[in-house]
Amino acid sequence: MKKLLALMLACLMIVGLFAGSAMAESEKEDTIVIMAPPVTGNYLENLKTWAADFHELHPNLTVEIIETSWGDHNDKLSTMAQAGEAPDIAEISSNALGTYVEMGVAIDIAKYMDADRLADYDANALKYLSLEGTTYGLPLYLTIQSIGANKTMMTELGIDVAKIQQEGWTYEEFLETIKTGTKDGCYGFIFANSGVTASDMLYIFGAGVGLSNTFTDDLKYTFTSENMLTLLSAVEEMTQSGYMPNFGVEAGQRMVMCQTGNAMIFGKAMPLFEANFKKNNAALEANDGTAVENSLPMDYAFLPVPTMMGCAEACYGTVDGLIAMRNKGTTDEHLENVLLFMDYICSGDRIAACMNDLYLDPVCQSGRDALVLPEGRDADNLATAARCIAMVQAPPEGVTAEMTATAKKLMDEQIVPKFQLLLAGETTAQEVYDHICEAAYASFGAENCVSGKLG
Amino acid sequence: MNSTKERRQPVHRKLRFTNEDLWGYIFIAAAMIIFCVFTLYPVISAVYTSFFNYKPFGSEYVGLKNYVDTLKYSKFNLFYKAAFNTLVYTAVVVPLSLLLSFSIAVMILPFKKKTQSVFKAMYYLPGIASGVALSVVWLWLYDSSPEGIFNRLLGVFGISPQNWLSSTKTSMLSLIIMALLSSHGVRIITYIAALLGIDNSYFEAAELDGATFFQKVRYIVWPLVKPTTLFLLITGVIGSFQVFMNAYMMTGGGPDNSTTMIGLLIYNNAFVYGKYGLACAQAILLAIAIAIMSLFQFRVMGVDVEY
Repeated sequence: MKKLLALMLACLMIVGLFAGSAMAESEKEDTIVIMAPPVTGNYLENLKTWAADFHELHPNLTVEIIETSWGDHNDKLSTMAQAGEAPDIAEISSNALGTYVEMGVAIDIAKYMDADRLADYDANALKYLSLEGTTYGLPLYLTIQSIGANKTMMTELGIDVAKIQQEGWTYEEFLETIKTGTKDGCYGFIFANSGVTASDMLYIFGAGVGLSNTFTDDLKYTFTSENMLTLLSAVEEMTQSGYMPNFGVEAGQRMVMCQTGNAMIFGKAMPLFEANFKKNNAALEANDGTAVENSLPMDYAFLPVPTMMGCAEACYGTVDGLIAMRNKGTTDEHLENVLLFMDYICSGDRIAACMNDLYLDPVCQSGRDALVLPEGRDADNLATAARCIAMVQAPPEGVTAEMTATAKKLMDEQIVPKFQLLLAGETTAQEVYDHICEAAYASFGAENCVSGKLG
Repeated sequence: MNSTKERRQPVHRKLRFTNEDLWGYIFIAAAMIIFCVFTLYPVISAVYTSFFNYKPFGSEYVGLKNYVDTLKYSKFNLFYKAAFNTLVYTAVVVPLSLLLSFSIAVMILPFKKKTQSVFKAMYYLPGIASGVALSVVWLWLYDSSPEGIFNRLLGVFGISPQNWLSSTKTSMLSLIIMALLSSHGVRIITYIAALLGIDNSYFEAAELDGATFFQKVRYIVWPLVKPTTLFLLITGVIGSFQVFMNAYMMTGGGPDNSTTMIGLLIYNNAFVYGKYGLACAQAILLAIAIAIMSLFQFRVMGVDVEY
């Protein structure tokens, strides 16, 4: 009996030993590296807190944060990825996804996270981080880019701001409005279009003329359509009319020009700017010397872009998100841990806090459930932002990494440089359009480009 | 006679690695290691990479494709436009900056040593500021609105505001002015050092012959500082061919690619589009062009230069 008991105990001990080692195996120490810029003013500080909280939940997993500035983030990430030493998680704009997929460093995240967790994220936002049906990242936010205005001035001029916010407007109505707003020392409209930022105007106003995406559903290049010529002609009209300056406006100047009464409507603008205007109003009231020099107290209105050619109202949006990346030490087990942390910071309370800083709505259900809106936000702007987010059109399925990369090169090297000429009044809309068509046909082939009117 | 015989006899010395040799190698080892790791290896690696469609995990050998793609002429191939822009920039900036530096050095020379030092420090100061900080200041100066500093200055003379960085008429000129006015320090100090090395007796003799100031500069100073000029010309051309920061920070290459330089093109291909192989091929072609230019300058200008 004693021998039997001893044998049973020994067996139990051996089983326990194996079970213990198996448990130790699944809870192996692992370090996850994330590289992120200051997505919001508080983001990097919050990230440290979330990393510590995550470590408490999963003591075997440690998070290492590489903090970057917006200025050097993309260069640093690209260099690290090319050297095979990419961080496990990195923040990218959806526009840059194609480059990393082509490089072979982006990871198909669906393989390493639960399907029900992936289902928490809005399909529309996930499409931005997908190529050819493969999802490479989780969205942080869908940012909408449109135009903003000095609401106080518009109201004084008798313009019905609420109607524009609720129902949208046509290009003709927009032109009439900026004509009314143009006075001595004040432009009706300005757009930050100096240097490479010129592409923003094409994308943002493009949404109002049916050019929300670079490719149609049947994967044809859209910027060769007649809609593009209409857009270019509108820009030509605006600059020549004098309602909009024909000199390059720096990104940092646009809001200042509005706040100082030198411009009525400005672009690009985001809902978040409401906070800047409120802060400036408070500084003016406190007279503490922190307000923008020569600025005036005013309310901010977030406006939709005007529509042209009878196109349906739309808004330009991009998704910024986190992608999982391959490096020399990547294993399947490690990737599961990486996705665990990535999902943790892209959802729930974490993303709700981030969205409150950005004045945006979360793009995942758990984020929406956790969101508590701070008091004092302008109800009209809030409603307009929600309406604009709903109008964002996700890119079509089936676009390849190569197509995205070619379209980006075409935009940077051919379209933007010619568009800069148009803004400076050194060429015509027709000449720019002809050049775009010629360059696009050379890159994609005429049969893969839209001719005539889009849609 | 005996000594001549001894000299003609073949010397049968055994090659031995002495302790002294060992120390010699140890002393140059640090420099050699740094050179090999940070210069030689990257160059060899760039040449190697230029034959691949580079990817961090599994590059694909493409032979000379990257070179062919770079050199294949097309209306939409930016390489030739960038090469032309770089040539124009170099052709204007290098001679003008040499002339300007030489003139300033000649004007500083007659002052006392302390005053010279003040001027030298003033001209050298922009050189120690970061390129980014300088660019921000220049962006402010080139503000295209009527309230911009340069535009207000033009307004004093009744000239209408200029769209400095956003017009093809003025974008390259703007970069050239920026280069001419913010990078003289090293050249001025080098020229002053060269001028101080000229023996005073030449000037005394010239004065006895009744030579004017410009005759002294033309017939004494200029020929005697020619080795310095050659050195500054070659290093200036090399630096100018590699120009990147100004275009990157100020114009991004626009408008209409009128300020896209080779350096910016290489940077974009490598870091924006992830085409390392293509970028390496373009960098190698740039290095070859610089080497040919330098050789040409040595041949043309170095004929009567004695070191």
